[in-house]
Amino acid sequence: MDNLRHHLTLYLRLLGAQIRSQGAHRTSFILDALGSLLITAAEFAALALVLPRFGGLGGWTLGEICLLYGLAELAFVLMDILFGGFDAPNLSAHVRSGSFSTFLLRPAPLTLQVFASDFALRRLPRVLLAAAIAAYGLLHAPLAAGPETAALLTAAVLGMICFFGGLFVIGGTLTFWTVDSVEAMNALTYGGRTLISYPMDIYSAWLRRTFTYLIPAAFLSYLPALHLLGRPLPDGLPDWAALIGPLAGPLVLAGAFVFWRVGVRHYQGTGT
Amino acid sequence: MTTMPAPPTGGPVSRRSSLALPLAVARLGFQRQFAYPQAALWGLITNSFFGLLRVAVLLALFGTRPQVAGYTPQDAITYTGLTQAFIMAFSLFGWFDFMRVIHRGEVTADLLRPASLLVFWAAQDAGRALGQLVLRGLPMLAIFQVIWGLNWPPGPLAWAQVTLSVLLAWACGFLFRFLVNCAAFWSPDAVGFGRFAWAVLGLGCGFLMPLAFFPEGFRAVLARTPFPGMLNTTVELWVGVTSGPAAWAALGTQLAWTVALLLACRVTLRAGLRRLEVAGG
Repeated sequence: MDNLRHHLTLYLRLLGAQIRSQGAHRTSFILDALGSLLITAAEFAALALVLPRFGGLGGWTLGEICLLYGLAELAFVLMDILFGGFDAPNLSAHVRSGSFSTFLLRPAPLTLQVFASDFALRRLPRVLLAAAIAAYGLLHAPLAAGPETAALLTAAVLGMICFFGGLFVIGGTLTFWTVDSVEAMNALTYGGRTLISYPMDIYSAWLRRTFTYLIPAAFLSYLPALHLLGRPLPDGLPDWAALIGPLAGPLVLAGAFVFWRVGVRHYQGTGT
Repeated sequence: MTTMPAPPTGGPVSRRSSLALPLAVARLGFQRQFAYPQAALWGLITNSFFGLLRVAVLLALFGTRPQVAGYTPQDAITYTGLTQAFIMAFSLFGWFDFMRVIHRGEVTADLLRPASLLVFWAAQDAGRALGQLVLRGLPMLAIFQVIWGLNWPPGPLAWAQVTLSVLLAWACGFLFRFLVNCAAFWSPDAVGFGRFAWAVLGLGCGFLMPLAFFPEGFRAVLARTPFPGMLNTTVELWVGVTSGPAAWAALGTQLAWTVALLLACRVTLRAGLRRLEVAGG
C-alpha cells in the first residue's frame, strides 16, 4: 500500500514537471491545443454536416452515431493522455536516441517513467469536445436513463481506455525489435478508433467478424450500445455478451503488459 | 522527413544552367523516397485499411440512393481511392521540413546555394511528391481498382485536364505549406500554428468528405479559399462532377490561387529573411 502511494506521488511529480515545461510557451500551447481540437472537430463536422443530406447512416440517426463516436473519441483521447508514452513513435524516438537507456538508470520504476514521459496537456480541449459529442448522443438517442445504463457506459469507456492502452503498449514494445512496423500499428490504434466510431453493421461481414472475434473491438462499445438501444446483437450473440463486453479491454491490457515485460528483458540498448 | 540532401556532385553548378540545380535536387528528392521500402509497404497497408473504412461509411451514407450531389456510389469509391492515393504526395497530414530548417538556423546554408530558396524547396518537394505518387499513390489506385473498381477520366481531354489539375493541386498545396512554415521566421511556436493549418486543410480541401456533400453556405465559404484547389477540384474533374466549360473555370481558379500564393510566399520569404538578418541568424 505504501509502495503504491509512493509510486502515485512519483507519477504525479513527473507529470507536474511535464505540465510546467509545456506551460512555458503559452502561445505555442494554445495554438497546439486548438490544432489538436480542430482535428477532431473537422473530422466530426465532416460527418455531421453531410448527414442531413443523407438522412442517416445505415439506419442510424445522428444522435445514435454521436453516442458511438463520442464514447470512442472520449476514451481514445483519455487513453492517449494516459498511455502516450507507450505510443510507438514516442517510444521508438527514446529507443533510437538512447534516452530509453537513461530511464533504466534512474531509481524509479521503468514503466512508471514511460507512463509519465509524454503527458500531452494540449489534448485536454479534445476531451471536452468528445464529452460534448457523447453528451449530445446521450440526449438524442433513445436510451433508458438509469443506473444500468450509466454503469454499462462507464464500463465501456474504461474498457476502451484499457483496450487502446494495451494496443499502445504492444506497439511500443514492438519498437524494441523493429521500427518499420510502427505505421502498421497505427492501423489498429487510430484505425481501430475510427472503426468503432461508426455502427459496425455498415462494414462487410468479414471485416466486422474480424473485429469481433479475432480483435475484440466490437465488444468495447458497439455491443453495449446495441443493447442499450434495444437492438439485437449480430450473429445471434446472446444478450449477456453486451454486458460482459467491456471486459475485453482489461484482458487485452493484461496481455500487453506481459508482452512488455518480455520486450524490456530483450532490450539491450542501441549502443549510443 | 530526413535531413537535407547533399549538394549535387559533379563540379560547380554555373548560373547559366539555371535548371540544372533544381532538376538535380528534384531527382534526389525523388530517389530518397525509395530508401525505406518496408516502411512504405506498411504505410500502404495502413492507408488501404483506412480506405476500406472510409468506403464503408460512404456507401452506408448512400444506402439505396443512386446519386447524391452528382456523385454515384462508384464515384464515391473513386473519390476515396484518389484521396488515399494523394495523402503522401500532397502531404495532406502536414509538413514541417522548412520550419525545422529555419528553427535550426540551417536556412542560412540554403541561402548560399545558387538558386532561390523557393525554387530549391519547390524542386525538392516536387521530387518527393513524384516519388510518393509512384511508391504509394499508384499502388493504392491499383488496390482500389482490384477490390472495388474505379471510374476513370472518360477521354484524352479529361485526362489532360486531370493531369493539369494534379500539377496545380501540388503547386497550390506546396505553396500553402511553405507559407505556413514561414511562420517559423517570426515565432518559435510555429509547430502549433502548423497543426492548426493542417486541420483546416483536411476539411477545406475535401479530404474528409467530398465538398459537394456539404451544405450550400459552407461550400460558398470554402469556394473563396484556395483549399478546394488542393485536392477537391482534381477529384471532381476525375469523376466528371465538373466538366465542360466548368472544368476550364475550375482549372483557372486553381491557377489563380497558385499565382496568388506564389506572390504571398515571395513577399513573406523576403520579409522573413530580412528579419533573420536583423536577428543576426
